[in-house]
Amino acid sequence: MTTPSSRELPVCTCPLVDSETGRQATVVAIACGDHDACRLRAMGVYEGATVSVIGKRHCLLVDVRGTRLALGADLAEGITVRPQERPKH
Amino acid sequence: MTATAGPERLAVTEPLRVAIIGNPNTGKTTLFNAMTGLRQRVGNFAGVTVERVEGGYRMPDGRRVAVLDLPGSYSLSAGSPDEQVALEVLLGRDEAHWRPHVVLVVADASHLERNLFLASQVCELGLPVVIALNQIDAATEQGIQIDVPALIHEIGVPIVPTIASRGEGIEPLKQAILIAAALPVPERRFTLPSDTAAALAPLQEQIERDGFSPSAAAMEALRLLSVTRGEAHLARVDELPRHLESTRDALRALGIAPERVEAEARYEWISGVLARSMVRRERTLRTFSDRLDAVALHRTGGPLLFLVVMALVFQAVFSWATPLQDVIEAVIATIGGTIGGWLPAGDLRSLVVDGVFAGVGSVLVFLPQIAFLFAFIGVLEQSGYMARAAFLMDRVMRRVGLHGKSFIPMLSGYACAVPGIMATRTISDPKDRLATIMVVPLMSCSARLPVYTLLIGAFVPALPLMPGLDLQGATMLAMYLLGTVTALAVAALFRATLLRGPVRPMILELPPYRWPSVRSLGVSVWQRCQLFLRRAGTVILSLSIVLWALATYPHATVDPTLPEAQRQEAQLGYSALGRFGHAIEPVVRPLGYDWKIGVSIVASFAAREVFVSTMGTIYGVGDKEEAALVDRLRAERGADGALVYTPLIAVGLMVFYVYALMCISTIAVTVREAGGGRIGWRWAAIQFGYMLALAYGAAWLVIVVGRAMGYAA
Ligand SMILES: Nc1nc2c(ncn2[C@@H]2O[C@H](COP(=O)(O)OP(=O)(O)OP(=O)(O)O)[C@@H](O)[C@H]2O)c(=O)[nH]1
Repeated sequence: MTTPSSRELPVCTCPLVDSETGRQATVVAIACGDHDACRLRAMGVYEGATVSVIGKRHCLLVDVRGTRLALGADLAEGITVRPQERPKH
Repeated sequence: MTATAGPERLAVTEPLRVAIIGNPNTGKTTLFNAMTGLRQRVGNFAGVTVERVEGGYRMPDGRRVAVLDLPGSYSLSAGSPDEQVALEVLLGRDEAHWRPHVVLVVADASHLERNLFLASQVCELGLPVVIALNQIDAATEQGIQIDVPALIHEIGVPIVPTIASRGEGIEPLKQAILIAAALPVPERRFTLPSDTAAALAPLQEQIERDGFSPSAAAMEALRLLSVTRGEAHLARVDELPRHLESTRDALRALGIAPERVEAEARYEWISGVLARSMVRRERTLRTFSDRLDAVALHRTGGPLLFLVVMALVFQAVFSWATPLQDVIEAVIATIGGTIGGWLPAGDLRSLVVDGVFAGVGSVLVFLPQIAFLFAFIGVLEQSGYMARAAFLMDRVMRRVGLHGKSFIPMLSGYACAVPGIMATRTISDPKDRLATIMVVPLMSCSARLPVYTLLIGAFVPALPLMPGLDLQGATMLAMYLLGTVTALAVAALFRATLLRGPVRPMILELPPYRWPSVRSLGVSVWQRCQLFLRRAGTVILSLSIVLWALATYPHATVDPTLPEAQRQEAQLGYSALGRFGHAIEPVVRPLGYDWKIGVSIVASFAAREVFVSTMGTIYGVGDKEEAALVDRLRAERGADGALVYTPLIAVGLMVFYVYALMCISTIAVTVREAGGGRIGWRWAAIQFGYMLALAYGAAWLVIVVGRAMGYAA
């Protein structure tokens, strides 16, 4: 098992749309059309990436390593994330 | 790897070819300008560079270097036509066979993780690579420290930190490019798990058989796993779909999701590299840009702010430019008068005064407005607000079946439809893109400004409506809104009929807000002004002369005892232009126009501004007194003594110009961008036809409804 994240599905996950604002989350699966998924991965939203929702409008505003992305709600529905523990301080 | 597709040996006289590639908005264009001294338009939103832009420079030893600025891409997996261009050039498979000797990857130092994804793909193409670590200033500001030697060691290519916007690091970068050309080509720095690699091997061999180097074939094989199907440059690979499918099946049999393999492998490698070469201070999540966005992207505040910004722009374009316009008008009148005074009375003087000065002069007056318009659009682009506008408009756009991104080409269309249509290349869905192309010319471009301004100035009073906006500004805004709303409606129609299909979900990067650079703004405005002046000096000048001739010949034999004005009127009616005008009058009569307006409209099918210059020529020929065109129009009466131009006619005429496609360059660019050849022509014909029908129908409706409401026409 050299690339574990592509072989197992973890528990307590939710779609990115339902992710709490301001909370960091790890992407576990991207189930959009191949084309959009490919583009998302190139933009830094890949399985294993840390993202956080910073605003919810008609689209989602997402922070990806300091980049701001606007993602359509339909798209964010297909991105499954696992919310991370809040930092201690 | 072997040197099968490595750089060919350089002939001494041949310039070194360098291609610049990088994520959108990393500063490629700024860097390109800093390296070559060539002035390119710089914008702060993804995808300003949509055409191939080539430049060059000389090294101190006389070596020539040719540089190509490629469109911004997030990866080599071509989604949109502009990314396809980049990929084909890098693989030497584009039409021009411009295979680079060195690839310069521009990476944004403040977003290195994502930028290295593309870089790692490029490093496997079998070409020497140099990485410019641009925006190193922004990275430092964000508390990011990069150990450049460590990074060079990790990636195995020369890396030069640069600040393109201040011209720092350019010389070392040029040196590095020369050095890289002689270095062995970089290779993949990570290894795939052996079972994955084994599953990929047959696919890779198949691609190699088409002449790809082993390294490039490995890159392609890995990349293809997450792409729906091979792009055009892979069309000659034998049975690619079958091999791709069996590779995917093999991976699935191992319990691996094929579409994830590339991203996981590359990002795993990248995070290792960065862990050893980069330190970043703990970031606060809320940046200055976020605070601005809290307002700019607010649910209700955002759209309101957007409307206020647009209203201000149009009001400013209209009112701030007026003093400058007055100056230009006075100067042209003085020069025309002086030169006219030197010439003997007769046809030559008439040509110079009425043909050249009245015709071209009436268009030149609009230079300040066009400069203001481009300056404002430039500020919107560079500050990063344009991407926010796309975000806000996505809601509206989605309802009509377009992507929020389509709004960026449409906004550029306010300046000029040609760059607007070219900017549609960043839209990856072909139907979405075509629908956008079809409606971009409905956005009122700067060539309509002279027409609107002339008519508004003459017939709309400057009643104050609210602070900062008067009736003239509001009318102008209304014309722009009319075009915009119609564009959306027509797009919806296309998307529901000829171009039916699902709308792609929104994926848009919102770049951080930046102060626009005064220098690059100045440069882009100056370029636009030059373009406008060149148009005035060529197309409009020659048309003015032709129209003057048509309005002057054949000479009528008029009764010399008649008053001057009547003699001129008789001459104009007798001239070729007059006869032609009378012939087409029945066509324009339902719209309430006389033959003079009809002639001007026909002439302006070559270029819209010609409407104004033709009016200038016609009334210049018809009138010896030095009255401004505006006053002349206001006073013009028909044979029955009724005013020719009423406010209602003026509004109808403006509506006509909102809709009519009167621009040869737009037609040409639509033909090319809609697919070229027969298909391109078909779309261009549809575009021209529907816009003309819309123009005529709407102008007619304005007159009919206006008359019914009791306005004079
Ligand atoms: N702080 C900083 N800003 C920079 C630097 N280089 C470029 N910029 C700014 O970054 C923005 C984008 O620059 P462009 O040159 O248009 O970027 P690009 O990569 O060509 O973008 P596309 O053509 O859209 O793909 C502009 O506002 C520049 O002024 C830099 O070194 N430091």
